[in-house]
Amino acid sequence: MKNPFEAFQQTDGRKREIPLDKILKFKEETLSKILKGYEDLLKNEAKDLVWLMQYSTVIKAYSIAEKKIEGIEYTAEDIEEFCYALDRSDQIPYLITGPAGVYISTLCNYAKEEEITLHLRDLNVKINLLGYRLPPNKKLIVEGNVGDFTGIGLDGGELIIEGSGKNYTGAGMKRGKIIIRHNLGFNTGHGMTGGEIIVGGRIKGLGKIVGGKIFEREHLIFPNEGVKPFYF
Amino acid sequence: MEIEEIIQKIWPKVRKKHLFPQIPLPKVIEGEEKVALEIKSKQLFISNSFHEKLKDTMKEEEIIEAVLDHGVTHYMYCPWDFHTHLTLYNEAKKVVRKKELAQKATTHFMDVVTDTYCVKEKDTKIPTLYKNLPKTGVHEVLSSLYEKIWGVDLGSGGHDERVNRLSRIPYLKRKKWGESIKKFTKVIQDILEEELKNEQENSQRSPNPLGEHSLDNYSLEEIDRGLRDFASAVQNLQEFKETVEDLKEELEEKGYATGGMGRGPGNPIDANLLYYMKLAESYTLPLRKLPIEKRGDLHPHSHMPWEIGKPFADIDVWTSFGKIMPGITKIWKKREGETYGELEGTPNCLIIIDSSGSMINPRERLSYAVLGAACACNAYLKNESTVAVYNFSDALRGNKIVLDFNQEKEQIYQAICRYFGGGTALDLNDIQFLLSQAGGPDIFIITDMQITNLEKLIEFFNQIENRVTAVHLGHNVHSTRFKEGTDKKRNISFFNIKNKEDIPKIVLGKIKEYLAPTAEWG
Repeated sequence: MKNPFEAFQQTDGRKREIPLDKILKFKEETLSKILKGYEDLLKNEAKDLVWLMQYSTVIKAYSIAEKKIEGIEYTAEDIEEFCYALDRSDQIPYLITGPAGVYISTLCNYAKEEEITLHLRDLNVKINLLGYRLPPNKKLIVEGNVGDFTGIGLDGGELIIEGSGKNYTGAGMKRGKIIIRHNLGFNTGHGMTGGEIIVGGRIKGLGKIVGGKIFEREHLIFPNEGVKPFYF
Repeated sequence: MEIEEIIQKIWPKVRKKHLFPQIPLPKVIEGEEKVALEIKSKQLFISNSFHEKLKDTMKEEEIIEAVLDHGVTHYMYCPWDFHTHLTLYNEAKKVVRKKELAQKATTHFMDVVTDTYCVKEKDTKIPTLYKNLPKTGVHEVLSSLYEKIWGVDLGSGGHDERVNRLSRIPYLKRKKWGESIKKFTKVIQDILEEELKNEQENSQRSPNPLGEHSLDNYSLEEIDRGLRDFASAVQNLQEFKETVEDLKEELEEKGYATGGMGRGPGNPIDANLLYYMKLAESYTLPLRKLPIEKRGDLHPHSHMPWEIGKPFADIDVWTSFGKIMPGITKIWKKREGETYGELEGTPNCLIIIDSSGSMINPRERLSYAVLGAACACNAYLKNESTVAVYNFSDALRGNKIVLDFNQEKEQIYQAICRYFGGGTALDLNDIQFLLSQAGGPDIFIITDMQITNLEKLIEFFNQIENRVTAVHLGHNVHSTRFKEGTDKKRNISFFNIKNKEDIPKIVLGKIKEYLAPTAEWG
């Protein structure tokens, strides 16, 4: 008698590993390493969930971040992935935009790519301190709006923000270029000694500027007859 | 070998490979050279022209097997159902903002998911098929992506940055499809825009080689179910509305109307109405029936003297002193009419809904009042009762809808969804009129209780014996006053709605509690 269930015998359905599996696995591993580094940074720098934005704390956070990312192999896409992970509470225990910005800047500064594009338009948080100490021969393009202290201490790199920034953009920058497509807040270029800030929209207010150039809608507004360099 | 014969030969193998999907034997159509497959309500149609064109470069059986693998996997894995299709479209639309672009992005994403699934899980000839397909525009990028994520040579290459980004998307993680399609769409957005621009300029559409995904792929039942699930899943009314408006023409072409699934031309689709209809369908409001039996048969009404020729069966022995004698013996005079019996019935319902300025406009945001009323409406209609609607804001100035008892769901929903804004005052004469139209209907009132003539309403409710379900939104002094004013009445029950989730839960539960004692009245 013919077996009526013959057709239902186990098929030779194979489940092979494809390169996509490896790519995703590597991506997950890299992200978890980056997240671990960030958590360690927070443990060191923001034990009480408070982080005071001071010259010394930024420098200290940066040096810790440098150590934490040592040995991690990552790409610009991994940095972007980390930025979105910051937005999701299930992956990050808590978000403090200051250390997060220092950490992302460190990742960008040490990335293999010379040009990094971060597509952050859908990010809910506005990250501070992006582009901190961006070195020469590095170009960081951020699609979306950013927070305070963007591009501070810029050290020769080119930072392009395809959106708006907030206060203290380019504060203390030494050289390099910051291009902002839309608007900036108060104290723009506070304490900057060199370099250029080019703003496509409006600037709410300038800080005490020592040197460099600031353009607003293609007009040089510093140095200008009305705005003289400040000597600390 | 003829293409039909190849299909006959290959189909059992494909079915077995995909664990015997319930799909009919694929058919052959002359079709286009550029499009391999069409899917209409689960029926796969393979283009003979496509097959003829490709058969010189690839084995005929392999062409058919690959195309069938692709088609069946759409049915078995992605999109699986219309709800998933809508969700993917909705997410893509958030990125590109244009219907045509969102449709293209959705089609490509579903193809990538489907083919990647097949390549990973099944023994398929899909890579060979792609190797022989033309690679232009977005297909060139996708082909490079396949090379990278499948690890095969398709004779493509390039687009490194895009492919890098695309290859990091977890295509086979169903839970992440919403997020994934957004990333996918962002990466290919500019190519799609360019493609669309060219199409508009040349008035010629460049088709997807493995077929388009449209409403044709689904039956009316699937569309109905998909819309219901989609209404429950979307974040807000506007998302639902936007998606339905985009698909309005296709839905109407398919014969889908707001009132239900396609019979006749139907009314034009009102996305707002459809949203509340589908959302309310997700919840069930159980109704305990009352022991009222509307029986049309005869029942003993009064006595009359027995006369010769009248039936003995009607004699009332208790009032006849045990004698059969004209003049002394009494018989029951029977009358036809409504009587209480053992069978239970569901009363009709009057829905009173507040649409004053303090209430949410149901056409702008999700209105809990409308959703609650819609749930109540469904519950009564399902029990074959009729529903009347009294929608009011400043009723004394004419801002009201008085809809008499009926069973026309669409008409009832239209009355419920109407928004007036402005002041809040009831005209009790209207309510009395509606109550007089049906014998002892239930009353379902949903309001924030900020009614100018609230005292009159309380007084009115204290006078009637109808079962009243009073639902108030938010908490204020007026609702407290209403509760205090009607506290002693056993036929009035009171619910507070704080958020969306409270509507089905609280109304469902409390109705039961409230209905239980009322059953004793009968």
